[in-house]
Amino acid sequence: MKLYNVKLLTITCEILAQKNIMEILTKHEITGYTIYEVNGNGARGIRGQGLQNEKNVKIEIILREEKLQDIVEEVSRTLFANFAIVLYVSDVGVLRTEKF
Amino acid sequence: MDILQLIQSNLLTPIILFFLFGIIAARIKSDLKIPAAISEFLPLYLLAAIGLHGGLEMRNTGFENMLIPMLVAIGLSLLFTLNHYQILRRLGKFNIFDSYALASTYGAVGAVTFSVGLSFLKNQGVTSEGYLAAVLAVLEPVAFIMAIFLTNMAVSKQIRIKKQSFTNDSKSDIDVGINETKTKLSKILHESITGKAIVILLGSIVIGYIIGEDGFSSIKIVFDEMFTGAIVIFMIEMGIIAGQRLDDIKKVGIFLIAFAIIMPTFNGIIGVVVATLMGLSLGGSVMFGLLLASASFIAAPAVLRNAIPQANPSLYITSALGITFPYNIIVLLPLMFAVSSLLHNPEGSIDLFNYGLKDLI
Repeated sequence: MKLYNVKLLTITCEILAQKNIMEILTKHEITGYTIYEVNGNGARGIRGQGLQNEKNVKIEIILREEKLQDIVEEVSRTLFANFAIVLYVSDVGVLRTEKF
Repeated sequence: MDILQLIQSNLLTPIILFFLFGIIAARIKSDLKIPAAISEFLPLYLLAAIGLHGGLEMRNTGFENMLIPMLVAIGLSLLFTLNHYQILRRLGKFNIFDSYALASTYGAVGAVTFSVGLSFLKNQGVTSEGYLAAVLAVLEPVAFIMAIFLTNMAVSKQIRIKKQSFTNDSKSDIDVGINETKTKLSKILHESITGKAIVILLGSIVIGYIIGEDGFSSIKIVFDEMFTGAIVIFMIEMGIIAGQRLDDIKKVGIFLIAFAIIMPTFNGIIGVVVATLMGLSLGGSVMFGLLLASASFIAAPAVLRNAIPQANPSLYITSALGITFPYNIIVLLPLMFAVSSLLHNPEGSIDLFNYGLKDLI
C-alpha cells in the first residue's frame, strides 16, 4: 500500500466564523471539507452551550502543501483578531492523491 | 398603585414564571435544558404564528392605514439608533465598534419580546393592529443595515486617513481593503433581508392574507391556541440562557446596565405616545412601543458577528438578553400598557381588571 503525503488543516472556531472560512476556501478553490458542531472550553470561556449562534464548529480540510500556506495566512490575517479560533496543521497520508 | 398591581399580576403569568424558573434552574446549575432543535424551531414557529395573524388581520382591515405607522416606525428606529450611538460613544466611552453594535441591537426589534407582548395583550383581552407584524418584518433589518453602513464608512475613512499618511507605498493593499468593505456591505444587505426570520415572517403574512379566516381555521389549533404554550416552553430556554449570563452582567459595567433599562423605557414610552397620536388602538400602541423598546438578541449576534466582528459580542448579547429582555417583559410591558390605557381613556383610571373581566364574561 502506497500512501501519499498531504496536509490536514483543522480549524476549530465559533460557528459564526464558519462562513468566512468557507469563503476563503472557495477563493482558494478548495472544494472538499468536513464540518462538525462541537463544544469546548478555551480562552473565550466555555463555548457551545445556549444559543445556536454561540456554538463552535470544527472544520477539517485535506489539501496539498502549496495551497496551505496562503489559506493559513488569510485565515490568521482576517479572523484571528476577532473570533474564537484555533488552527493547526498535521501530516496525513492518503491513498488517492488525485482527490486532493 | 395601579401600575404596581399590573406589574404584580403580570409577574404571576405562566410566561414570566417559567422565565424566572429557567433562571433559577441555571443558577442551581441544573442540567435542565431544552433540546437544541426545539429551541431553534420555536422562534421560527413564533414568527410564523405572528405572520399568519398579521396576514389575517390585514385581510380584514386592508393595508391603506399601514403605510404611515410603518414609515414612522422606520424613522424612529433610525433616529433611536443614532441617538444610542451618540450616548454610548460620548457618555459611555465605548469604542466605535461596540457603540454601533449596541446601538443597532437596541434599535432593532425582538421577535420573542413581540410574541410575549401579543400574549400579554391576549391575556388582558385587548387586540392590536395586525399590520404591526409587517412593521416587525420591515424593522428587523433597518437598524442593523444603518449601523453596519456607518461602521464601514468610519472604517474606510480611517483607512483613507492612514493611506494619506503613507506617501506612496503599499497602496494596492489598502485599495483592496476598501473594496472588501464595500462588497461586504452589499452581501450583508442581501443576507439580512433573506435571513430566516424575515423570510418566514413575510411568507406567513402573505399566506395568512391569502388563506383568510376559513383557511386558518384548519391550522388554528397549532398557530393560535398553542401560541402562548409555545412561548412558555421557549421562556424556559431563555431563562436558562439569561441565568447562565447573570455573572457576565457584572462585567458589562454599570453604564451599560443603566443604558439597558433607561433606553428601552424612553423609546417605548415615546413609541406608545406616537402610536396613540397616529390613532392606533390601545393594544396597537403598546405593541408599537414594544417594537421600539425591544432589543434583538437572536438576530443580532448572527448579523453583527459577521458585519462588525470587532465588537465584543458578550456586551450586546448579555445586555439585550440578560437585562433588557427581562425588564421589558416584566416591568416595561405593564408600564406601557398603563400609559396606553391612560392615553386612550383620559378620564377613566387604569381599569386593567375590567379588561380581564370582559374577557371572562
